[in-house]
Amino acid sequence: MRRPGAELQRVALEAIIIAALGAVIGLSLHHRPILDAFSRPAPATRDSLAPAVAVESPPVGLAEVQRLLAAGALAVDARIPEMHREGRLPGAVSLPLEEVDTALPEFQRKIPAERTLVTFCSGYGCPDSFDLAVLLRQAGYRDVRVFEGGFPQWRDAGLPVESGP
Amino acid sequence: MRSKRILYHGCRLFLGGLFLYAGILKANDVAAFAGNIASYRILPYAWNYLLAAILPYVEVLAGGLLLTNNRVRASAFLLGALTLLFMAVLMSAIYRGLEIDCGCFHPADRTTPLAALGRDAGILLLAILTYRLRGKTSP
Repeated sequence: MRRPGAELQRVALEAIIIAALGAVIGLSLHHRPILDAFSRPAPATRDSLAPAVAVESPPVGLAEVQRLLAAGALAVDARIPEMHREGRLPGAVSLPLEEVDTALPEFQRKIPAERTLVTFCSGYGCPDSFDLAVLLRQAGYRDVRVFEGGFPQWRDAGLPVESGP
Repeated sequence: MRSKRILYHGCRLFLGGLFLYAGILKANDVAAFAGNIASYRILPYAWNYLLAAILPYVEVLAGGLLLTNNRVRASAFLLGALTLLFMAVLMSAIYRGLEIDCGCFHPADRTTPLAALGRDAGILLLAILTYRLRGKTSP
């Protein structure tokens, strides 16, 4: 008779080997997005801004975004205008990060500071929604959330998409 | 003895098929899965991607081994341990009052953490049954 502990030890060792094999496969197939994620945030301005927004604007998931929008929050599109025209979350307004300096005053005239905002861009590869959230906070908006999955996650979930100017 | 064998193979095939299916769905969209993990707000940003890239393949491997009746105890042990981990994470999400998608199967899976917790309890039972019955029905 073998000791029961020896059998458990063997099983646990095999389990670790299976997990390690899975890790090797996963890392070899998806090393690019992982490396991208670890090398982000790259721009110098983001380094100083990131901690503040991480505390104040935690990223929200798809379900929470749907709830927020249904409750009257405004989706703010940080992507370039061409992508905004091609497809966006319903009711989303365009505020491209690169045009924010010129477009923000107009945005502030239309949108009160009390309104809940949900920024988004092209999903997980894209830091613009975070940067835009920081700028909107600095501009006085009190409740700014970041939809990190962005337009791709919304579209891929089969949710309604709006397009056109 | 025969009914035990049927139960064993039933548990093994169901558990294996379940994780193979879940793993393939998540491996298909690693970025979306990373987002699901991120919404639990447990790991630092980039680590969500690391886990999202690894976990689906561990599930696929262990599920496949169960389906093909290889390394059954090790696979059931691994999937059981994973399920325990998922339950702990779900409980922490419920405790912190996070209203999030569970991300258990498809990225757009709308299961709430509480429902997922109940489902995971069933999966844990399957893993335990598979592990224990393996010892009794095989040489």
